[in-house]
Amino acid sequence: MKISYNWLKQYLPVDLSPEYVSQALTSAGLEVEDIIPFESVKGSLEGIITGKVVHCERHPNADKLSLTKVDIGSGELLSIVCGAPNVSEGQKVLVATVGTTLYSGEDSFQIKKSKIRGEASEGMICAEDELGLGTSHDGIMVLPEEVEIGKAATDYFPVEKDVIFEIGLTPNRSDAASHIGVARDLAAILNFRESKKSYQLIIPAVDDFKVENTNLNIEVEIADPEACPRYSGITITNLKIGPSPEWLKNRLKAIGVRPINNVVDVTNFVLFETGQPLHAFDASAVKGNKVVVQKLVEGTTFVTLDEVERKLSANDLIICNAEEGMCIGGVFGGLHSGVSENTTAIFLESACFDAKTIRKTARLHGLQTDASFRFERGSDPEITIYALKRAAQLIKEVAGGVISSEIKDVYPKTIEPAKVHFRFDYLDKIAGQHIPSQQALSILQDLGIEVVKSNENEAELLVPTFKVDVYRPADIVEEVLRVYGYDNIGIPAKLNASINISEGIDPDKLQHAVSDMLVANGLQEIMNNSLTRSDYSEKNPAFAIENNVQMLNPLSKDLDVLRQTLLFGGLESIAYNQNRKTSDLKLFEFGKTYQFDSEKTKNKEALDAYNESLQLDLFLTGDKQSENWNTTAAPVDFYDMKFYVEAILRKLRIVRNALTVTELSDELFDVALVYTLGKTELLRFGKLSQATTKVFDIRKAVFYANIHWENLLKALPVNRVKYEAVSRFPAVRRDLALVIDKAIRFEDIKTIAHKTEPVLLQEVNIFDVYEGEKIAEGKKSYAISFNLVDKEKTLTDKLIDKCMQKLQSAFEQHLGAVLR
Amino acid sequence: MREKIADLLEQIQSFEAESREHLETFRIQYLSKKGLIPALFNDFKQVAAEERKEMGMLLNNLKQKAQEILDLQQERFAAVKENKIQMDTSLPAPAIGGGRHPISIVRRDLNSIFERIGFKIAEGPEIEDDFHNFTALNFPEEHPARDMQDTFFIRKSPDIALRTHTSSVQVRVMEQGKLPIRIIAPGRVFRNEAISARAHCIFHQIEGLYIDKDVSFADLKQTLFYFAQEFFGPETKIRFRPSYFPFTETSAEMDVSCNICGGKGCNICKYSGWVEILGCGMVDPNVLEACGIDSNVYSGYAFGMGIERITMMKYQINDLRLFFENDMRFLKQFETLV
Repeated sequence: MKISYNWLKQYLPVDLSPEYVSQALTSAGLEVEDIIPFESVKGSLEGIITGKVVHCERHPNADKLSLTKVDIGSGELLSIVCGAPNVSEGQKVLVATVGTTLYSGEDSFQIKKSKIRGEASEGMICAEDELGLGTSHDGIMVLPEEVEIGKAATDYFPVEKDVIFEIGLTPNRSDAASHIGVARDLAAILNFRESKKSYQLIIPAVDDFKVENTNLNIEVEIADPEACPRYSGITITNLKIGPSPEWLKNRLKAIGVRPINNVVDVTNFVLFETGQPLHAFDASAVKGNKVVVQKLVEGTTFVTLDEVERKLSANDLIICNAEEGMCIGGVFGGLHSGVSENTTAIFLESACFDAKTIRKTARLHGLQTDASFRFERGSDPEITIYALKRAAQLIKEVAGGVISSEIKDVYPKTIEPAKVHFRFDYLDKIAGQHIPSQQALSILQDLGIEVVKSNENEAELLVPTFKVDVYRPADIVEEVLRVYGYDNIGIPAKLNASINISEGIDPDKLQHAVSDMLVANGLQEIMNNSLTRSDYSEKNPAFAIENNVQMLNPLSKDLDVLRQTLLFGGLESIAYNQNRKTSDLKLFEFGKTYQFDSEKTKNKEALDAYNESLQLDLFLTGDKQSENWNTTAAPVDFYDMKFYVEAILRKLRIVRNALTVTELSDELFDVALVYTLGKTELLRFGKLSQATTKVFDIRKAVFYANIHWENLLKALPVNRVKYEAVSRFPAVRRDLALVIDKAIRFEDIKTIAHKTEPVLLQEVNIFDVYEGEKIAEGKKSYAISFNLVDKEKTLTDKLIDKCMQKLQSAFEQHLGAVLR
Repeated sequence: MREKIADLLEQIQSFEAESREHLETFRIQYLSKKGLIPALFNDFKQVAAEERKEMGMLLNNLKQKAQEILDLQQERFAAVKENKIQMDTSLPAPAIGGGRHPISIVRRDLNSIFERIGFKIAEGPEIEDDFHNFTALNFPEEHPARDMQDTFFIRKSPDIALRTHTSSVQVRVMEQGKLPIRIIAPGRVFRNEAISARAHCIFHQIEGLYIDKDVSFADLKQTLFYFAQEFFGPETKIRFRPSYFPFTETSAEMDVSCNICGGKGCNICKYSGWVEILGCGMVDPNVLEACGIDSNVYSGYAFGMGIERITMMKYQINDLRLFFENDMRFLKQFETLV
């Protein structure tokens, strides 16, 4: 919203720098986003002097040029070559002297001494378009005879210099959507902060308003008082449509509004002065001399001022005459009912429309106008008459005319000002410091709030109807504080905080701890967009299309669903970096995935159908280590991933033995392991299939782990770590090299070992795997170590041998193992 | 005598040992019992009495110098002497990579800053219904305030959307009915905005909420002043401006003094010296009532800020898209612990 400083001063005469005013307004909630200088004539006619053509003759070398001598009162005559057809001796003209800058749109040029076709020229006699005083380029401007020479052009053509404040108006401040509204706030701020001065708002008087005859009566009927609480109107006849006077044009131009004609300009002027939108109808378009404010049948067509035919909805409020619609109330005029250059009589509307109704209509038709901007934020029902009188007087002033009807005012149900019972201790409590009640009351009065009665504890307040957003004590507090100044509220030295006992394990801290562990092991955290493309799930059957959470209004086809997995984002990141010469990557991401479950759409709670859960995914690709003289380059493998995954489990005290591990090979994985606890999957990891990585043009093998973080948190042990006595007796290690069938798994050996020797056996480890020439086909050799401890006594050789014997025969019996 | 001393002094001062063996030869030649310097001490007996004092000083000085040179050069070879193996210790060790994402780093910083003054972490869903994202937060239907945020819709009537702010977590926590409330809620939010250097369809916010008896605007200012100084440094100044949010009454925006130019004015702060970083205010009584809290008894404050925004300020990052591209050349810059 643009506010002109000169215009503002009409209601609040101040002499303060624009920067000061800008800061004051910003500090009270009217944020000045920009301060823009304005001049009604670009360049402000600087360097333009009145002169007289004392001599004029044909240019010797050019048919269309003249040589002139011009007196600009400097004592010396200027020689100027002039191309205008109308130049002649004796004319009073405007001369751009050497050094002057002239503007044409965005371009500018400077007048210099020059030679034109061999003749010297030291200045330029100007046409009105060259000066920005008009649009004509037919010839130079010829001034009346009485003009004195050698005077600044601004003596005859006053230039308006102004400063414009661009204010970012918040939706709650319709009371400040006008010059008077902003002036009111400014007065309150200055009165509070500048104790010496007393600033008074000057509201233009309308006492002279007088009904001159009642020759043109137009009846008003409101069919829908909810959508239109008040409608006021008046007729003016015998007026003459024409351009507005300069002062009016300049006011509008300053705030970026294009002048149209005197009547329309006045309605706009009053809108930006008071905040009340007005509409002028050509009285001859008001058929049947009747205005009906109503909603029409859904689908009725209506042509608006921009010549667009629109289909109306049943919510749109239409200003109709006795036969048809004339205007979309509070939003946009109709093509056939507006003021044209032939108009001689008008019906002037000043109404109050319901905010919701206007907003729905404005959105439906995509029409954002200065009127709808104000109505949809809530307008003041009490201002309609004042605005009507003010506009009628201004129209008489600039377009002539006779007021030809009483004010028609339909206002079925008076909207009362809000009564607020306000306690000063409430103000102090919310502010956090004592604010003297007299200060609070004087701020409120400056803002237009009436203090009906008050004592030291409380006050009865009447909030005027123009403050649509102020009706509760909390709102009054804000009104006081924003003028009082937020920065004037002190910061307490001691903390006011209630005690918060934490319950159990903090999942956020655990997430950071696991992240730190991965980082310490060389993994890099990544973060991908939650929005992704639906065709990933089309290409990969592991993530069904029907489980996608689809957006109704997606940004683009590439970002039309929420991700069902972090996998594709991770692969995108791998491809991105691989294409930038980094292909040894160890990555992890903590992020949410989202699934739609159509089964649950029937649930009472609509959100039930949308599942979101936090995942931790790991990606390994390329070499184990960056190239180094000390190690042979080796690509990452399945067991590297197993290392990270099981390290996480171990650190979280999730006991491996309690989990079920199954092997798997599917569309996604060539080979993978799935760890489940009961029926809950905790994680799966493995080598991704080429079909999966090919889509992303990834050349190297990718190992991928998906950890269901929330399931993992549920699987955490409930008991705390409990100290167990450390054995005072040393552990003993014995090794066995077993030749077994290739199909036998280490896990099987381990299980049998622990079952066979549940007491002494502490740990089973494998330290060598051999397959090859020295061993029969279909067989492999595992070198396994066994750690034995007795907590009660030192193990004897005899006992150890017996134990190993037992193990060996168990392996022979169950696995057909042979000692190597 | 005098010439001999001067001569030897010159010799030893120009000595530069090439090896330990070379140094040993030096010791034997000059300092051993049969060396040149002890030999001079023998000659000293024949020095005339009047010269003795001076010659004594010169001689002692020569011996001391020789010993110093020997000690000094011995130190040079000492290390090698200890070392049993010859090796190139300058060969590089393999480098270890790995680091947190800058958003995670800042999120954790924020958590610990607020946890230190008694805030607890709360969470809520990213797919939200209209009630929690808008209605309970005092966004009336058909109100211009809803235009302030471009929403991704998942479903219409009942409306389900991607939350546009973490303020929805306020409602989730208040609904649980346990008072007092002192929480922060970091999380991901969504806006239907085209992706550019300055806007993204996803980003992160952190929300704060404190509800108890006698919670004031002054308390809010104190908490945020503490935060600003902890996060941006002890020189940081703050400024509050009135603003509007449907869910707070007495609403404010907070600016901090620009940490790039220190408030002098630069292109980051648009030459104002201030950068807007968060919105806040006193919880609107309508919100308290919508969540079943008696607004006559309880009051509270709330604040919310964009994590990307302050991360960009902290590290002087100028393009939002960098956060979600996962370019290693970008991420690696945040590997270090400090």
